[in-house]
Amino acid sequence: MTSDITAPDAPSVSGTRPATRLPAGGTTSRAPGNPLRRLAGGLGTALLCLGTLLFVLPFLFTVVTSLRTAADVARSPLGIPHSLTLKNFSDAFSQIHYGPSTLNTLLITGLSCLAVTVIGSLAAYPLARITQHWSTAVYRLFILGTSVPVFVVVAPLYLLMRDLNLLDTYTGVVLIYIALNLPVAVFFYTSFIRSIPADLEEAAALDGCGAFRTFFTIILPLLRPVTSTLLTFVSLQIWNDLLVPLVFLQNPDKRTVMVNAYSFIDPHTVQPTSLFPAALLGVVPLLIIFVFFQRQVVAGMSAGAVKS
Amino acid sequence: MFHRRRATMAAFLLPAIVVYGVFMLYPLARGVYLSMTDSLGGPIANFVGTQQYRAMADDPAVTDALWHTVLYAAVVVIVQNGLGLLFASMLFRRPKVRRTLSVVLLTPTLISPVMAAFIWSYLFAPTGGINALLDLVGLHGLGHVWLGDTSTALYSVAAVNIWMFTGYSCAIFLASYMSMPTELLEAAALDGASGWRRFVSIEWPLLAPALTVNVTLSLIGSLKVFEFPLVLTNGGPAGATDTLTLLVYRNVFGGGKFAYGVALSVVLLVTVVVLSSATSSLLRLRERRI
Repeated sequence: MTSDITAPDAPSVSGTRPATRLPAGGTTSRAPGNPLRRLAGGLGTALLCLGTLLFVLPFLFTVVTSLRTAADVARSPLGIPHSLTLKNFSDAFSQIHYGPSTLNTLLITGLSCLAVTVIGSLAAYPLARITQHWSTAVYRLFILGTSVPVFVVVAPLYLLMRDLNLLDTYTGVVLIYIALNLPVAVFFYTSFIRSIPADLEEAAALDGCGAFRTFFTIILPLLRPVTSTLLTFVSLQIWNDLLVPLVFLQNPDKRTVMVNAYSFIDPHTVQPTSLFPAALLGVVPLLIIFVFFQRQVVAGMSAGAVKS
Repeated sequence: MFHRRRATMAAFLLPAIVVYGVFMLYPLARGVYLSMTDSLGGPIANFVGTQQYRAMADDPAVTDALWHTVLYAAVVVIVQNGLGLLFASMLFRRPKVRRTLSVVLLTPTLISPVMAAFIWSYLFAPTGGINALLDLVGLHGLGHVWLGDTSTALYSVAAVNIWMFTGYSCAIFLASYMSMPTELLEAAALDGASGWRRFVSIEWPLLAPALTVNVTLSLIGSLKVFEFPLVLTNGGPAGATDTLTLLVYRNVFGGGKFAYGVALSVVLLVTVVVLSSATSSLLRLRERRI
């Protein structure tokens, strides 16, 4: 996934927007009485389904091939499978040390996500509410980070981590992920908080509520929808990342799923029957999460495009 | 009272500023400095000014990589957003299949670029899925060593990128479609505007903000592409798919030319910042004129 995103301009787009609302515009153009137009509409739908099918075909092919024996695939790559086996999966499972590396990935992703949301939302509150020159400058500095590719900082970061003795540690990797994802979190949260009316907070302040209490009792509960959107995005980024763990975790015991899959499998010599199960195992946890949070994922991915 | 409150509020910024400052801004500044030294990654480094940058001018690998990076980005931005828009406008007109198909289109977005590249490295192989499929439908003549031919390798890598993110572009366009004022679309339908006419004069202008977001995101994303060319071709054949990121990676971690690699990463940063900010401000200007 592209590692940039734009923040929602209003709270309405971040999960609370009624996704079920069907605009009339979608149906009015198809007059039921006009057979020619109806035929064209049906043809369009068929073409659309076919086009979508083309996008999932590589997936289906991957799943089917994963379940075939190597000899069977060699005989006919696209043929009907003669026998199905789970052996490829169990082989890949041990080959990429799936159990431990999944736990590593989960740990890194979980810690980074937690830290990004906590630190990001805390920082966004003053950035949204204090309107002074310095706070605008700080905000701009954070936003600058959304267009900085990891490659620009990877070499100096390596030296820094070496000097701090943080190479080969989860702490080091998590700190890098926080720094890389903070711009997105700050962007998200700041634009969200700005769209919340300040009246409630002012009333709380008059009642003697400090900044801490105001943040935790008033702002934080309101941030839930935008947080789920942000978490979807950030966790996808971190889970799927190759470069940071590849460079900063040399110890095989600490490696993530992506690094293991990448370093154990050479796409140019290895059979699809060992390549594909590994590829599928790497995405299975994410697909499970996707099934549960389908609506948030879709909202999260398209957030920000809608200007209200 | 309000003064103290504001001071506490400003303190909320501290953790973010510390982490971001130490692990992002400081490495960024140090990178710019390192690019003007002869550092090998060790403690000894001499200031050499613009020497690394001048060396790039004589290095055909750099000009090639820069060209590949820009060409790759152009292909991805145009095709991915074109397809995304086509899917979105067709899905918008078909409420029954809209939700299901847009979720299906998003599935490739969820997988890791490494995994996508694995899958496609087999599909593109000489005896792999695509050639087998072409054989099956009787188009044997179109069979090709997709990743092994200098004329098709870069486009094949770009195709994987497009396959993965078209659903994402489509989702953004679709979200914009869904927020269009219903009255306007109904009025257009009443006036008899349909199909192409409705698209050109009503939908396209309303899609302008979504287009800005889509083009900017896909441009930044494709300029810093790394995993696709790394896994699919590792820069080959004959450097035909070498991008700036691959060059940075190879020089920084391949040994010997650390500072040169860092200088290349600064070139990458300048390319991304200049191209993306120019594009997005042009598109924003266009939004205001519409």
